[in-house]
Amino acid sequence: MKLRNYHWKENVTGYLFILPQFLMFLIFIVYPIIEGIRLSLYKVQFNQETFVGFDNYVTLFHDPVFFKSIYNTVIFVVFIVLLTVGFSIFVASSVFDKNAKYVSFIRGSYYIPVMVSMVVMSMVWGFLLNPANGLISYAAREMDFSIVNLLGNKHTVLPVIIFVTFATNVGQAIILYIAAMIGVPKDLFEAAEVDGASRVRIIFQILIPLVKPTTIYITIINIIAVLKIFVVIQLLTGGGPNNASVTMMYYLYNNAFKYNQLGVASAVGVIMFLITMLLSIPQLRAMFKEK
Amino acid sequence: MLKKRMLSATTALLVVMSLLAGCSGGGQKDADSSSGGDSSSGKKDKVELNLWLTPQWKGVMDASEQNADYDSFFKYAADKFSKQYDKHDVKVNVQVIAGDQRDEMLNVNLNGGTPPDIFFESVFAMGDYVHRGALEPLDDIVDDAAKKDIDQKYWDNVTFGDKVYFYPFAHNPGTLAYNADMFKAAGLDSYVGDANAIQTWTMDDYDKILKTLKEKLPKGSYPMGLYALNNQGDTWNLAYLRMFGNKFFDDQGNIIVDDENGIKAAEWLKKIYSEGYTNPGAESVSSNDANAMFQNQQLAISFTNPVLFNNSKADMEAGKAPKFDIRLANIPSSSGSPLSFTYVIGASVFKTGDAVKTQVAKDFVKFFSTDPELVKSSKNSIPVRSSVAAEFKDKYPLFAAYDANASNLFNFTGNVPGYSELRQVLYPELQAMYIGEKTPAQAIKDYQTKGNAVIQKAKESSVIFKK
Repeated sequence: MKLRNYHWKENVTGYLFILPQFLMFLIFIVYPIIEGIRLSLYKVQFNQETFVGFDNYVTLFHDPVFFKSIYNTVIFVVFIVLLTVGFSIFVASSVFDKNAKYVSFIRGSYYIPVMVSMVVMSMVWGFLLNPANGLISYAAREMDFSIVNLLGNKHTVLPVIIFVTFATNVGQAIILYIAAMIGVPKDLFEAAEVDGASRVRIIFQILIPLVKPTTIYITIINIIAVLKIFVVIQLLTGGGPNNASVTMMYYLYNNAFKYNQLGVASAVGVIMFLITMLLSIPQLRAMFKEK
Repeated sequence: MLKKRMLSATTALLVVMSLLAGCSGGGQKDADSSSGGDSSSGKKDKVELNLWLTPQWKGVMDASEQNADYDSFFKYAADKFSKQYDKHDVKVNVQVIAGDQRDEMLNVNLNGGTPPDIFFESVFAMGDYVHRGALEPLDDIVDDAAKKDIDQKYWDNVTFGDKVYFYPFAHNPGTLAYNADMFKAAGLDSYVGDANAIQTWTMDDYDKILKTLKEKLPKGSYPMGLYALNNQGDTWNLAYLRMFGNKFFDDQGNIIVDDENGIKAAEWLKKIYSEGYTNPGAESVSSNDANAMFQNQQLAISFTNPVLFNNSKADMEAGKAPKFDIRLANIPSSSGSPLSFTYVIGASVFKTGDAVKTQVAKDFVKFFSTDPELVKSSKNSIPVRSSVAAEFKDKYPLFAAYDANASNLFNFTGNVPGYSELRQVLYPELQAMYIGEKTPAQAIKDYQTKGNAVIQKAKESSVIFKK
């Protein structure tokens, strides 16, 4: 008892310091999760909640649009994360050991889109791509090309959204990679060079393995970010054409705020939560092991 | 050492407490101001109302006023009301909500228990909230004088079950607008109607107009606006589906568009789209885009209503948009008689659970819906009051033209429950049709199946249908 008391006294300051954040965490993260799980088992109407068991989940699994939203979300996650990681490794490994001013210039150029709000970016792309009065269709018309509606074609709409999101997000990853690569001890490169290793070999066998924690981190934050992809969809396509670009988050939003099906929307939220957990746990475990 | 630790521990505790106090302090303040107060200082109690509206007309009486905006009318009305109201000291917070965000804002606030006290909007978009039991009946503020001055067809529009839920203020008939200059340039002079009339074309005329415009218009301009990005402006799309005589709803409020005439209408839409008689990319174009293109003279024919029409004219006068000869036409139909629909606009009162606020909200609704000066503002749309229409008929000759159209009105919502969700069903099917993923017949069939499922589900939980 005495020992316990001592430990408590020893650590009380620390606990008090984390208390505000912990309270916020409980109120704004844990409570909504519990409330979301509860709501997913209810049918919510104006000031009336009826317990319906797993009915909302049954409704979901009978809706082809929900499956379409899962499929699209998976496509977005896979391609955007692969593109982001691949391209940022390429850019960072090409420039990290160059002149500091040059590195700053590259970093700045790629980072500018990250600072611009996603809403603004989406609106600019919307203006460019609008088939009736957008800049690209105007240019195509002036040059007598046929007008292709990239956002109205179900085969091109996903690649366009992938590209727009990737282009907006990649700066963050480049910054992180350059910082990590600059931190890799120089003597390793020198030793490899002395042994006659080519630059490609140095990158693949020294640089990339040594920045693995950064890769894992970038992968996790991007997976989580892309799972929640919403703004681009809302502003560029509205989920169209004919639900071809609907994502889980957009589907959740439609149910919650347009159809007023809070129960169904909560069920989507719970499923998204589970998917995110499943994806994150092994990666987080790997990251901690690494450390 | 221990002292030092105690000091830092106390500091940390204080920080936490001040944070929490900060959070709850704000809540306390809110609670005070919303309770209406029961001060015994002899002054009138303070009551704060929240009024939301979607953009209707600008200015108190006219868009040409200085600093005219969408909330000008209600700010003025609130000021006038609070000066003469003797029961409470009333403050009205006016907030303009974008039409496409209405349902999101309302759903979030209804579920959070903070609905606005008053919402001023087209009735068709608000019917769902009646079915959900979120609105107060307004029968107690409707008197005989109002019943006499406002035609029964408008009262029918705002009556659900046997109660009135909206106080009719004005109405907004939907028509087409056309650019007479473009028509004349294309040699279509004979199809241009009078500036103060709503021109009626037959289907044959209309097909010929589209074909001629397509041939004669300069590159980058298109004969007609067509859009299906979202549910905005979908009433015109619904009207087009009736062009060949389809009735749309049966007597039980089920969709019956999947018949020969409904499919024919969908095929017509697909045909004019595929043949380039409309703007390209209808599946990705919104009604806002179409309206902007019409104002920029990239479209010869587009959709409109009196508010949009007057705003366009005001923008042209103010030099904000290129000037051209803008005129009105009816949506044609194969029967020859035009397709007409109208949005009745009026205020509704939400159930907030606060009897005082509800009463004051009702009093305010009654005030601005009956005050002889304020109701004149309904001239910005089309007045529902015969007295106002009569007063302005010489100044606004179009009032008579709209009145003549009234016999062709169809009720586009069918007063069905679940209308908000039903609106989300149509545009994906139209998109599928335009991009060739579905045939017109398939799209119509799927719309009917999905739409009827939505209506059925909404009927089961409607407070009106449960009675």
